[in-house]
Amino acid sequence: MAKEQPNVGDLLHLLETSDLHELEEVRAAINEHLNADRGSIFLNSLVDYYLETNSGQALHILSSVREPHDKHLLDKLNDCMTKSACRLATLTLLEHVIRKQPPWIHKVSRAPILQALLKCLKTDTNIVVLITGVLVLIILLPMIPQPGKQNLYEFFDIFGRLASWNLKTPGNTPEVYLIHLHVSVYALFHRLYGMYPCNFVSYLRSHYSMKENMETFEEIVKPMLEHVRIHPELVTGTKDHELDPTRWKRFEIHDIVIECAKVSLDPKEASCEEGYSSIPEHFTTHLQHRQTDITDPHSCYTSASSTPFTTPRQTMAQPSCRSPQTLRCSNDPNRDVFWSPSTVCGMSTPPSSRGISPTNVASELSHSAPNQPCRLHNTPVGNKGTISNTPTTSSPPHFCSDEYVNISVQPQTITPTHKDMRPGTGHDYDGASSVVIGGSGDAIESKTTMTLDDLPQFIKELEQQDQKEREDDAIREELHNITEGKSESPGPRGGFDSPFYRTTETLTDGERKHAIPAHPALIAASSCGLSSDNALCTPDKLVPAATTRTDNQGAFPFKPVFTPIDRPVLQTSEGHVSVTSEERQKPLFTPSPCKAQTAPYEALFELALPKAAALFVARKTAEAAQRVGAKYPIEDDGKWHVSTSPLEVLDCLIQQGKDAHVRELNRLPLPSKSADWTHYGGSPPSDEIQTLRSQLLLLHNQLLYERYKREQHAVRNRRLLRRIINATALEEQNNAMKDQLKLQEDDIQSLKASLSEEQARNKKLREEHETMVSQLHTQIRQLQQGCDKYSTANQELQSKLMEYKKAAGDLRVELQKANNKICNTGHLLNQLRQKLTNSETVQQQMEFLNKQLLLLGEVNELYMEELRQSSPDNSKEEEMLKIAYEKENEKLRYNAIQQSQRLEAAQRRIVELETQFTKKEHLLMEQKKYLEDFKSQASHQLLAAQSRYITQKQITQVLEREMSELYSQLEKKNLLQSAGVVSDKRAGGRATEANTPMDSRSDCGGVSMSSVSNSDCTDVHQAESPKINKSTLSYRPPPSVSPGGGSSVNGRQDPPVLMEPSPSHSSSSSTSSATNDTPMTVGSYPSAKSFLTMRNRELFRNKSESQCDDEVPRLSSLSQVLKTEQCPDPLGTCAGDLDHCKTALGKEENTDGQQTKSYQEGTSQQRQQHLRIMDYNESHHDHS
Amino acid sequence: MAEDPQRNFRSIYYEKVGFRGVEEKKSLEILLKDDPLDVEKLCTFSQRFPLPSLYRIHVWKVLLGILPPHAESHLLVMKYRDEQYHDVLHALQVMRYIHEDSPKVEIFLRMYQLETEKLPRQTDITHLEPEDEDFFAIAKAMYEMVKNEVDSYWLIKCFVNQFSHKYGDSLPHLPKSLEYYLSLEDSRLLNHLKSCGAMSKLPYGLWFRKCFAGCLPDSSLQRVWDKLISGSCKILVFVAMEILLSYKIMLLGMSKAESITQFLENMPQENTDAIVSKAVDLWHKHCGTPMHTI
Repeated sequence: MAKEQPNVGDLLHLLETSDLHELEEVRAAINEHLNADRGSIFLNSLVDYYLETNSGQALHILSSVREPHDKHLLDKLNDCMTKSACRLATLTLLEHVIRKQPPWIHKVSRAPILQALLKCLKTDTNIVVLITGVLVLIILLPMIPQPGKQNLYEFFDIFGRLASWNLKTPGNTPEVYLIHLHVSVYALFHRLYGMYPCNFVSYLRSHYSMKENMETFEEIVKPMLEHVRIHPELVTGTKDHELDPTRWKRFEIHDIVIECAKVSLDPKEASCEEGYSSIPEHFTTHLQHRQTDITDPHSCYTSASSTPFTTPRQTMAQPSCRSPQTLRCSNDPNRDVFWSPSTVCGMSTPPSSRGISPTNVASELSHSAPNQPCRLHNTPVGNKGTISNTPTTSSPPHFCSDEYVNISVQPQTITPTHKDMRPGTGHDYDGASSVVIGGSGDAIESKTTMTLDDLPQFIKELEQQDQKEREDDAIREELHNITEGKSESPGPRGGFDSPFYRTTETLTDGERKHAIPAHPALIAASSCGLSSDNALCTPDKLVPAATTRTDNQGAFPFKPVFTPIDRPVLQTSEGHVSVTSEERQKPLFTPSPCKAQTAPYEALFELALPKAAALFVARKTAEAAQRVGAKYPIEDDGKWHVSTSPLEVLDCLIQQGKDAHVRELNRLPLPSKSADWTHYGGSPPSDEIQTLRSQLLLLHNQLLYERYKREQHAVRNRRLLRRIINATALEEQNNAMKDQLKLQEDDIQSLKASLSEEQARNKKLREEHETMVSQLHTQIRQLQQGCDKYSTANQELQSKLMEYKKAAGDLRVELQKANNKICNTGHLLNQLRQKLTNSETVQQQMEFLNKQLLLLGEVNELYMEELRQSSPDNSKEEEMLKIAYEKENEKLRYNAIQQSQRLEAAQRRIVELETQFTKKEHLLMEQKKYLEDFKSQASHQLLAAQSRYITQKQITQVLEREMSELYSQLEKKNLLQSAGVVSDKRAGGRATEANTPMDSRSDCGGVSMSSVSNSDCTDVHQAESPKINKSTLSYRPPPSVSPGGGSSVNGRQDPPVLMEPSPSHSSSSSTSSATNDTPMTVGSYPSAKSFLTMRNRELFRNKSESQCDDEVPRLSSLSQVLKTEQCPDPLGTCAGDLDHCKTALGKEENTDGQQTKSYQEGTSQQRQQHLRIMDYNESHHDHS
Repeated sequence: MAEDPQRNFRSIYYEKVGFRGVEEKKSLEILLKDDPLDVEKLCTFSQRFPLPSLYRIHVWKVLLGILPPHAESHLLVMKYRDEQYHDVLHALQVMRYIHEDSPKVEIFLRMYQLETEKLPRQTDITHLEPEDEDFFAIAKAMYEMVKNEVDSYWLIKCFVNQFSHKYGDSLPHLPKSLEYYLSLEDSRLLNHLKSCGAMSKLPYGLWFRKCFAGCLPDSSLQRVWDKLISGSCKILVFVAMEILLSYKIMLLGMSKAESITQFLENMPQENTDAIVSKAVDLWHKHCGTPMHTI
């Protein structure tokens, strides 16, 4: 940071460059630095720099610091405040900072800077510092509206101190300063009163009830009080409520400022917004529109003002009188009397659209209205005499349209109130009058303002009085007319009395509510400052209220409105409302700054102080009166001094700056007053410079303060404007809705008419329909009756029909029965006839037989007799026959018995056999079961055995494969080994070829291969023949790795088998030697395989034993196998081999031994084996 | 069955209480007393109840066809089996496919290969197919259960044969039925597994091809194989499902398929009995309880 200090210092100095670009850069750099740096060192240096140099740039930068630096800034300011040397600069800086309203401003309430400020204000003696401090405080107060009780009392103490400053402190201070101080105290008063009325009032009460402060109160505070109205919070609020944060939450800073301003009656200070009508402002704005006729407004005003006047503190703007005021004001026919350039040149808000909306008119009126109340107010005694006859009476019709109903009521009430007013106002004005009289020495309450300018103007206008008289009369008459018109008037104006009126009223109320009677202390007439503020300057002046003091009620039904400003000077008879008096007074109020250059400069300062002001005014009045002569006797009763606002005094001062300065200079102990110091080339005296500087500073402060207030107003105006725009938009909407509603109603009407038509038609139709229906009903009834009749008849007939049918049926049945009977009888008859014939025949036969019988009987008897007579000797034969017959009988009986016995026996046997048969069947079943069981068992066993066998086959397969593999590996090795021997290789190749076929065979082709190989060997012996290749080739396809174990074994087996039969062939082998080598290789195999061969032989032996009975067919099959090249059935080949084995069983051992021997011996034997094989096969072939 | 009333009214109570197979030994003995043994009934029995360990090997042999139903032939057939085993073993030894130090499972593998004519050549001996791995697992488990070499070899061989013949076609469908039953039982887990993509990466090989050999301890594995041997391959699905359900919480906690697979392959061996029991219950629930066909 130290390193940056010099940079920072440079930067600060660079702020003073005139090069904009560079300035921008420097400012940017400084801002960056500030943003980056959270410490206070840079800020402090910046503040110091400002304090030293008062650089505007630094000020600008400081016033826009942000969050982290605000605390540093406040601390630094706090530190600087302790040093009295730079206190002023600090305060200035603080003021700038505060005016910018940074977002952290609320923290000030807790910062020590506030306490330092308050302490400074309480203890310091430098006026300039005090003034600056007070301004700071005033600006600050709305920003920290909740100061706490302690701080609040401090504010009040400060106010008290400063208020009594000029009385209690030695009067060495230049009057300029005093004026400024007074202005600032005034502003502080307004601020405090506006923000904390209850507390403030109680403070004032407590403070100024003390004797020693009475003077201060009388001189300083009371006039101030005359510039404010009663704050509604005084009525409805409490001390604690004022300090309650919730109260302040609603307000923004500008709201607070405006709230304070609303309470004020000072036209320079106050604002004219709804809720309060600050008559002063409007009064002053329309100062030029002096209403000649006061009539209602005036009366309203006065009546309204009566109540406020009862208490010195209370000002108007009571809500109760607000509306009548408003109405009155807006309806004031006197308005039209007031002329303002705005009405002519359309400067007020839309004058052209006046007819369109009441608001506009009302607003326009409201512009002009406030004047009246102001003036009314200022015409305390309802003096009709003081009618501001201004030639500016503008077109009455402008305002007629805005008449409100109530206005007419008012006039009557005014007059009685005058009297009330008077005592109240009298008090106020007594002072003034006393002043006029010549200074009674009483406490002067009324403040008078007098502008310097007014005096010359006044003088000038005095010369114009003749003119004005005429105008005055005219105006008076107009006022008359207008009042009368007004009293009749209150017809419903289109729009205003409509339901929508109310809404507009609120909009315009604000403006209309200006019609609050101004405080008697209003100094609207002191227009020089105010009129300069607004463009509605007209030379017209309001009749000072002073003239209205007289209770000249007869002249007009209402009091003159205008001249709220009581020109103490113009204490002319107000009774006549003489224009002259007004005019007399007018010039006093005429703003013509230019004219007053030579005006008594001293007067101004005297005016700055109330006493002096009063004196001055009195003097001026006297002068004026002298000048005017006795034309217009000055009436001192009812003079109503309007105390001038300090602001106006200040304005005058400013305007009279040069003179003030001169005067000031005069006061200074200078060697030569009139010397122009600069003329001599010297520098003006330091004192002068000092004073100038301080004055400048004070003015600057004031300017800034006013500027600040203006800004707040501007903010507020924008707010209100937005509200107005919204309201107008809503109004438009309402109108549109109204139109729509109308249209809808029309539609409804038409629809209703059509509906009634339709209903009538509908009724008619219904009646017709009913008649038709009744007719049809009767018809239907008749028809139904007929139908019923027919149906009953029909039913009867039906029933009859049924009966008859039934009867018919019965009859038929009977008939049938009868027929049946007849038939039956017929049959019977036939039968009977037959029987009859039979019986007749039988009878006849019987008769015949009877006859025969008789005859035979007789014959029998005859024969019997013959017989008895013939043979008595047949008895023995008979006996013998009997015996024979008996024996036969017995035999037969015996046979029969036998037969039956046999039959029984046979039956029993049958039964037995049957039982045995069933038992046998049972046994059979069981046997079958058992057999099945056994079969299954056996099958399972067989399966198990078969699985064994299959496993064995698979084992052999695997073994054969292994063997082939090994053979092939061996052969490969042999090939490699025999690579060097070319010729041998060939032969060997042949032999190998011959051999390999042997090896590279499937076991199925074992024997065939061996045979063929044998044949191949013969070929080898003779010559190479393609046959070999062919044969070898033919045998190569089977993979060399095929399980040739069996086949090779077979092959192996063969040679030993075949060795024996043909040993003689060995000699023929001549070329056998050539193949010595190869057989060697071949010979190497058997050593590995000998064990295998033995094993296989064992296996084969086993198999052969089991299959020895199949030998013979096997042989044939073998031959077949030999011829063919295929041998599908390994079993067959094995069997074939077995045959071979069988044939040479006995030789097997020999062959084995021979085999081994041959293998051991050498190659020739190998070849011999081959040859033998060959031979054997041939022999075999021969065999087959 | 005459014993049915006697069995049923008590067995229902036992089942309710949770003791299954209490009376079963007696009924099994009765079944085993038959001559010839009724293989169907034994199948049904073993499907319904877990076999008592005393008779397990015997029943397995009968179910797999190693022993014929007729008790008289048992000795003879066993002798055949024994001889067959030794023949093959000897052949392999001679061919130097195996030697004394070879592990048993390898011996079994080579024997099996020889018998199924799939014995690779000597040069290809080191190349192992996936089926060989499965075989190894099964063989190892079986050998652990059955200490006898011959028995174990025969059991392995017949088991594998039966497995590949009977269930070879339905093996690919087992994962789908696993999914289906899991969706019936617990769709949330299924969704979670699907979302992780773990469904396709479940250790089906370990589960379905190796029949949980190496995954479950012997005691539980035996019960699973009871059911397998007696003719149901659905039990594999249910055991798998039950494993998933038992470790549901852990699986739901895993979100990566690889971690799930890893976990399932190295499943903790503690509660496998309960898992198997539940799986059997599930299987009975979904596929019905096989009843004796009278």
